[in-house]
Amino acid sequence: MADIAIIGHAQSPSWRMADLTEPQFLLPVISEAIASANINRRDIGFTCAGSCDYLSGQTFAFVMNLEAVGAWPPITESHVEMDGAWALYEAWVRLQVGDIDTALVFGSGKSSPGNLSEVFPLQLDPYTLTPLGVDPVSMAALQARALLDAGLVTEQEMAQVAARSRRDAMHNPYAQVSGEFDPEKLLAEPYVTMPLRKHDLPPISDGACAVILATADKAREVCERPVWIRGIDHRIEAHQPGMRDLTQSSSTRLAGERAGVGNAPIDVAELCVSFSHEESVLRRALGLGDEVKINPSGGPLAGNPIMAVGLARIAEAARQVSDFGAHRAVAHASSGQALQQNLVCVLEGD
Amino acid sequence: MTASLPDEVVDPNAPVTNMDYFMALEFEEIICPVVQRYADGLLAGKIIGHRCPQCELVYVPPRGYCPIDVLETTEADEVELADRGVVTNYTVVTPVQYYGQEETEPFAKVSVLLDEPGGMLSLQDVLEVPVAEVRIGMRLEAVWVPEAERTVAEIGNRWGGAGGCILGWRATGEPDVSPDQLNDRVF
Repeated sequence: MADIAIIGHAQSPSWRMADLTEPQFLLPVISEAIASANINRRDIGFTCAGSCDYLSGQTFAFVMNLEAVGAWPPITESHVEMDGAWALYEAWVRLQVGDIDTALVFGSGKSSPGNLSEVFPLQLDPYTLTPLGVDPVSMAALQARALLDAGLVTEQEMAQVAARSRRDAMHNPYAQVSGEFDPEKLLAEPYVTMPLRKHDLPPISDGACAVILATADKAREVCERPVWIRGIDHRIEAHQPGMRDLTQSSSTRLAGERAGVGNAPIDVAELCVSFSHEESVLRRALGLGDEVKINPSGGPLAGNPIMAVGLARIAEAARQVSDFGAHRAVAHASSGQALQQNLVCVLEGD
Repeated sequence: MTASLPDEVVDPNAPVTNMDYFMALEFEEIICPVVQRYADGLLAGKIIGHRCPQCELVYVPPRGYCPIDVLETTEADEVELADRGVVTNYTVVTPVQYYGQEETEPFAKVSVLLDEPGGMLSLQDVLEVPVAEVRIGMRLEAVWVPEAERTVAEIGNRWGGAGGCILGWRATGEPDVSPDQLNDRVF
């Protein structure tokens, strides 16, 4: 596989309810990503977006998002109805062909306009799960219950993950939820959906993220500290929750093995921990020990712009390598309910 | 969201049948400041657009940016537009009687290129003109809803429009504009 590098990225803040349209807040994010990569907009050979029309409730919303890109004269572009991390995967594959040297990837979404407990079941399985009322929080609660019953996590550990994430997020200008919280006090709060309390859940966020990829020659030409994608893979499991062991994530484990996570020590990981108990599942699946710093950005528990949140993990992991001295980092994105589909990406500096 | 499920357990050997399954999702969004000013303008009988400071194309409803030059546009780029113009293209919709469809007869939706300083309002209704007579180049003028009855409840962030304030557009009777003069003015 050809070496591909991340040479620039940008994010919007996570807003609880943005009063801007998606193209309006995407436009400065994309322009900032392009500027940070030290390239011209017209240098971009391929553009790939990740978004979900169901979120905003508007057909062809993803087409409007292209207005933030500069798509005239016509550009070559694609879209995935997935988190922007999967758009990055498509762009990475596209760059392997070797005829172009630069790609723009972005993910964006407004979760605020709809009722997510109704939107996601209809998006993900309108036929068999929706009539049962299975929403993301109930699914996460079933998974947390399975982990608690198996003795693989405790409610105290879940509260500690939430408190640590919120504390780390105090240094993240894009975060929505941050601050010092005492895990013992968090545990005194009532359940939202047993066994999950509010701190175990991600915030509802609007936001966007953009990443610029380049081939090795181009990256060397324009970028002082390119962040190399050493491995990337994504795997999916059956969507029927009864058909898999919710205490494990075999898709994350497989993707991690294929991406080469275990080939050398990992310094830091940005994981798509949307619910606090998922950190335990993901750590085990990826073989990340206590020495690995998890989610220095605060992760999705601090800011959760659906469809951008996975791509933002890649951008945050890349920042750890380019700006904060990490040599080898793991980024993880997830889709579907209760970690059904997972993407793992290994990043390295020179 | 409502689901209607079969009342009885079905014989597994019975032939496959259909079941009705009606669903609805409700979305509530904040109208962005740029569109809010456009909506306020309509209530006052004015059509407000944004003119890109670079390419000078006029966007209506304003979007807060120019997608061609990838520039943000602001109140400083606002222009008040004409409520007369010309049809640059149209679609005749033949209603299919799906659930919730209220239209029964074919109707036209037209794009109106407004007179100077320009701007294109799309998906507009034509009043008092048979569908067969709708044509490119036809001159139109806005029929405003009486001021006291205007509403912007239908105005959204994306597919804009002017419904609730402009009832539709009627022919002015002026000579048609030659379609040759409307090249490159699809949007």
